[in-house]
Amino acid sequence: MSAILRHCFASSLLLVMLGAPQAQAQAQAQAEEIAGTLGAVGSDTMAGLMLRWGEALTRQHPGIRLQLQASGSASAPPALVAGTTRLGPMSRPMNEAERRAFIERHGYPPRQLAVARDALVVVVHRHNPLESLGHRELDAIFSDSRRCGASEGVLRWRQLGLDRPEGRIRLHGRNAASGTQGLFRRIALCDGHFRPEVNEHPGSAAVVAAVAEDPRAIGYAGLNHLTPGVKALARREAEGVRHFPDPEAVRRGDYALSRDLYLYLNHPPGESLPAAERAFLDLVLSPAGQSIVEELGFVALPEARRQRQRQRQGLVLDEAGR
Amino acid sequence: MPDSSSPTSVRRRLRQGRDRLATVLVTAGGIGVIAALLAIGVFLAVEVVPLFWPTGTTQAVSQQALWLPMEGSADPARYRWDPTTTLGTDEAARVSLVPLAWGTLEAAAWALLIAVPLALGAAAHSALFMSPRLRSRLKPTLELMEALPGVVIGFVAGLVLAPWVERHLADVLAMLVLLVPGLLLAGGLWSRLPPRLQQAMPLGWAGLWLVPWLLLLLSAAHALSPWLEAWAFGGDLRHWLEVRLGLDVAVRNAIIVGMAMGFAVMPSVYALAEDALSGVPRSLAEGAQALGATRWQTLWRVVLPAASPGIFSAVMIGAGRAVGETMIVLMASGNAALMTWNPLDGLRSLAATIAIELPEAGPGGLHYRLLLLAALLLFVFTFLVNTLAELVRTRLRRRYRRLGGGA
Repeated sequence: MSAILRHCFASSLLLVMLGAPQAQAQAQAQAEEIAGTLGAVGSDTMAGLMLRWGEALTRQHPGIRLQLQASGSASAPPALVAGTTRLGPMSRPMNEAERRAFIERHGYPPRQLAVARDALVVVVHRHNPLESLGHRELDAIFSDSRRCGASEGVLRWRQLGLDRPEGRIRLHGRNAASGTQGLFRRIALCDGHFRPEVNEHPGSAAVVAAVAEDPRAIGYAGLNHLTPGVKALARREAEGVRHFPDPEAVRRGDYALSRDLYLYLNHPPGESLPAAERAFLDLVLSPAGQSIVEELGFVALPEARRQRQRQRQGLVLDEAGR
Repeated sequence: MPDSSSPTSVRRRLRQGRDRLATVLVTAGGIGVIAALLAIGVFLAVEVVPLFWPTGTTQAVSQQALWLPMEGSADPARYRWDPTTTLGTDEAARVSLVPLAWGTLEAAAWALLIAVPLALGAAAHSALFMSPRLRSRLKPTLELMEALPGVVIGFVAGLVLAPWVERHLADVLAMLVLLVPGLLLAGGLWSRLPPRLQQAMPLGWAGLWLVPWLLLLLSAAHALSPWLEAWAFGGDLRHWLEVRLGLDVAVRNAIIVGMAMGFAVMPSVYALAEDALSGVPRSLAEGAQALGATRWQTLWRVVLPAASPGIFSAVMIGAGRAVGETMIVLMASGNAALMTWNPLDGLRSLAATIAIELPEAGPGGLHYRLLLLAALLLFVFTFLVNTLAELVRTRLRRRYRRLGGGA
């Protein structure tokens, strides 16, 4: 529900000021020199993540505040281009047009940093006997273009070989233009078209709530929105292997419906990062930052990738201080 | 007296100045409102122009894609709203606004179908028959209903009412079958009551007589529904609907939206219609009754026509609100851009589409402009409805003025 309420105001600014005055006492000596306000504009999927990272950062460096405006991934590129923010969290990679606009304005490409992994899960009601779906079946259920190669559309539960639940499959998904819907369409529908019957909800939590109350429903949502009312389905690949969306499969990329979550930075090459931004990125890629990722139901980056990212961003490599 | 005249003239001049200031402020306010309204229309129109006459950066969308069915499409849904997946690709753009306009009108029609009879009935009863004491309680309650935010109604409709109706479809049907004749019968029964009882409960309080009957009928419907379902629909109403009539039942459907939005629209329709009806001079009704007309004849032939301009504008205001309502449709309709006659299918309205998609559409892009076109469509639509309402209202008012009816 909170997702829906949030979206009521999605067009207005969602400004969240973070502060942690109680942390003053535990301030580290070297930390006191760093101060400032970090502004971030972007993904609402990552809003919780950014908030928690911001809190952790203020605990480490009491002078730094993170100011977050989370109105959707699509809001990050324009803000980065216009220079109103230097940090843009996005739940999908920038597309070509957005990238081009950035380069045209600033003369260099934006820095891209993968900070966590996320996955989309296909969910059914908890009493539904279905355990797994092949990728063609999934496409045949959700799309009427069937680009993944299914021979006919699947409209009823009977067509999946189930005698319970009866009747038509009721489809639930995210609203058009959301990063989640785009990812599902790209991977699960092979770039096809959704059926017009798909109920579009303005948030993953709303999708899960709708599926949880209807035994005939199926839907897709972000991994971190799973509740006990629904059951996540495993994905059957062509060779007959099943991949359940557990953290391990998501981290390795075996589960096909997974994605990276990104931070985009406006950072001219050759210049060193401002201290506050550097501290933030340091925290995000540190074990502490990644444990926040896990706490919120996302999947942490594999160690090797994290190291690679840190090196590429020229961040300090020792983790003794944290 | 010369010495007292000067403070008086100062005071008069002061008062004149104040009056002039007030006039200027009121005029400025009025002009400001009109200018703001015009500015919204002009802004939307200007933003939409590049859709049709492309400038360098954006390409145009063909009129055909917006209003006509897709060509050579094999699938049954030939009007499709799917802008994000087709814009900017080499596929045919699926940006038809027709299903959205359809959904908007369908939702509004169901809402009015549910709200108008109830609201007008309640207005006529409370303006003409109800005891003043009961009326003074009822009116504020209904006005309180009007203050209920759309989000709350949408929330209850989408997350509580819709699943309940889906599980108890037969109950709802049994209620429909039982309530209307049952309540009419109960009303008729009142006039057959022994005179002693009728004195204890005069016409002004007769509304209360229906309350126990309502409860009784509701529980009867609940008790009878399994039996009804087994007897008439082979044990499963949903299955029967699907096999016999080919109707799918969506959890969030047009009927649910109609019920929720009808609930939202009802108080304002009631309030305006009630004002119009009680504004009809008593002399008219009393004259009719003195000439031997029954209460019913008085209502139907004298009071209703005299109040018709006000009632008409009440219904139109309800229609305007139903068309523009966003949160209720957003939360209770399922937002599936379908175009069917089936009232148990989902729908998607223009306003809900704008609310969901605008935050994610990049400003200046094609999708953004399409959504603004949808907004322009809504704007024009409500503008037309209100203008029409005003025109009809003034004409009706002129016609009935000789009756002495106010509205």
